[in-house]
Amino acid sequence: MSVLLDVKEITKSFKLKGHWYHKRKFTALSPLSFAIEANKTLAIVGETGSGKSTLAKILVGAESPTTGKIYLNGQLLQNQRFKQRCQHIRMIFQDSGTTLNPSLTIQELLDEPLILNTELNEKERQQLIRTTLQKVGLLGDHMNFYPHMFSGGQKQRISLARAIILQPQVIILDEALAALDPSLRSQMINLLLDLQQQMGLAYILISHNLGIVRHFSDDVMVMSHGKVVESGKTIEVMRNPQHKVTQKLMMSQNIQLK
Amino acid sequence: MNLLDIRNLSIELDTPSGRVLAVDKVSLSIKEGEFRGLVGESGSGKSLLAQAIIGVLEDKWHVHADRFHWRGIDLLRLTIDERRALLCRDIAMIFQEPMSCLDPTTLIGEQLSEAIDTSQLSGYFWQRKKQRKEAVIKLLHKVGIKKHSLCINSYPHQLTEAICQRVMIAIALAGRPILLIADEPTAAMESTNQGQIFRLLANLNQLKNMSILLISHDLENLTHWTNTITVMYSGQFVESGSTEQIFNKPMHPYTRALVDSSTKANLQLPSKSRLMTLPGSIPLLQHLPIGCRLGPRCPRAQKTCVAAPKVSNFHGHKVSCHFPLIRGNRKKDSVKHKAVKGIN
Repeated sequence: MSVLLDVKEITKSFKLKGHWYHKRKFTALSPLSFAIEANKTLAIVGETGSGKSTLAKILVGAESPTTGKIYLNGQLLQNQRFKQRCQHIRMIFQDSGTTLNPSLTIQELLDEPLILNTELNEKERQQLIRTTLQKVGLLGDHMNFYPHMFSGGQKQRISLARAIILQPQVIILDEALAALDPSLRSQMINLLLDLQQQMGLAYILISHNLGIVRHFSDDVMVMSHGKVVESGKTIEVMRNPQHKVTQKLMMSQNIQLK
Repeated sequence: MNLLDIRNLSIELDTPSGRVLAVDKVSLSIKEGEFRGLVGESGSGKSLLAQAIIGVLEDKWHVHADRFHWRGIDLLRLTIDERRALLCRDIAMIFQEPMSCLDPTTLIGEQLSEAIDTSQLSGYFWQRKKQRKEAVIKLLHKVGIKKHSLCINSYPHQLTEAICQRVMIAIALAGRPILLIADEPTAAMESTNQGQIFRLLANLNQLKNMSILLISHDLENLTHWTNTITVMYSGQFVESGSTEQIFNKPMHPYTRALVDSSTKANLQLPSKSRLMTLPGSIPLLQHLPIGCRLGPRCPRAQKTCVAAPKVSNFHGHKVSCHFPLIRGNRKKDSVKHKAVKGIN
């Protein structure tokens, strides 16, 4: 299968307060490269401050990398061209309650990306919103509701609808499953897996729950202090963790694969 | 002997549209030296129950119980002052977000020494100050903080979340409680820190023989640490029993679904296969179903489920369901079937 997203030698460093001739830098990401194919899931695990959220921000375009290049379908993604990027790479955040604008109805919320990125007329847009809501397990009539009328699990579905409405190729899940209750979390996992099969999506899952990582992902990348310390097929890495950080993570969650 | 013995505790809330039964006849008992887990999703009333135990609910909540005993003393009959004196000697509680529970304007050392009761100090008044300081350092060592002088002289915002939670536990331990209630102590914490806090609680339980009531929304995180587990759903009692009983042989469809939906318990499942899950979402407090509140989501629900089920006891494994999942015991179901058919 062909490579969908190809990340080459990305680094990120932040300037710290320092003197003129004594410039200080903080390296958030050391050079790292990886590639994802369609229909696959890459999981990124690591402690806080290991740079996984910075990596997500760079991929989605909220930050620009200091050096390095990102290719989507062999095409170079430029930092300034958000239109090209936000059609293909979408992101879902941890706390769905605060990422939806409370003063807009669901229809207006989902309309925004369509108006900005597509040439559809009003009727087509409405039809698309309806079908997208049905795809994520809500009703088409829900589009006249406001976000506060939904429960936590439903809000997470709405942010998923907002992510998939532009028919993207990559979705980044930044701890998107962490804040959900267990019974809703398994519903959400099932839904995400179904959508992956239907639409051929590639997921980048950022999570610290190794149970979900084991179930959900094909490949895993363990990060620590901005470096990739271990990567490979999830099953193989978790069966035989080599690096100390991986072993510590698995120990702390009492997970043992045979 | 049971330390805490609660039978049929109900908590009601006054709302403009009448009283709402937020917690409906929940029973809970804690023995000496027991590590009990209380599991429930959001809105299951588990935090309310904990707050009712230590008596910090506001006036708008009304608590009733058939029995509410603490070491043989009926708590509901005591006056507020008596109750407070009794509970602050015996029960301590730690909360969800340690950062926001500690006073941001006071040094950690002062907050800790505030919690130490004068009756614990012996000696003349000029010795007290030194003794107090020693007691503070001892408490910090007890919860595994080695750099005590650094910790004493810092404010909460200068410490990490996990260390703040340790300080909270130290404050709770200052009164030498018999029961420690931990209300989601590791929410929003990293897994490595989570493990440390749980290990600390387990050590306290084993070395000091302290009973612990650990409240959490996630069944899979608890099972490694607890002796016994009580499960709640939407304010109703679901199931209680030893950890093995709950995790390996759940009898209630809800517990079954929780265990089946856990990715950690099903490591043998092929990856990317579908997980077992309950349809629908958790009911809101304003729109609670009648009878068994799991009813609309339950795969085994039948007509009788519109009446709240009674708790039945199978060798210490209590379950509140009309149709519990028991192998080889179909008789009870069929009898109930006939009864229902007879009525119609």
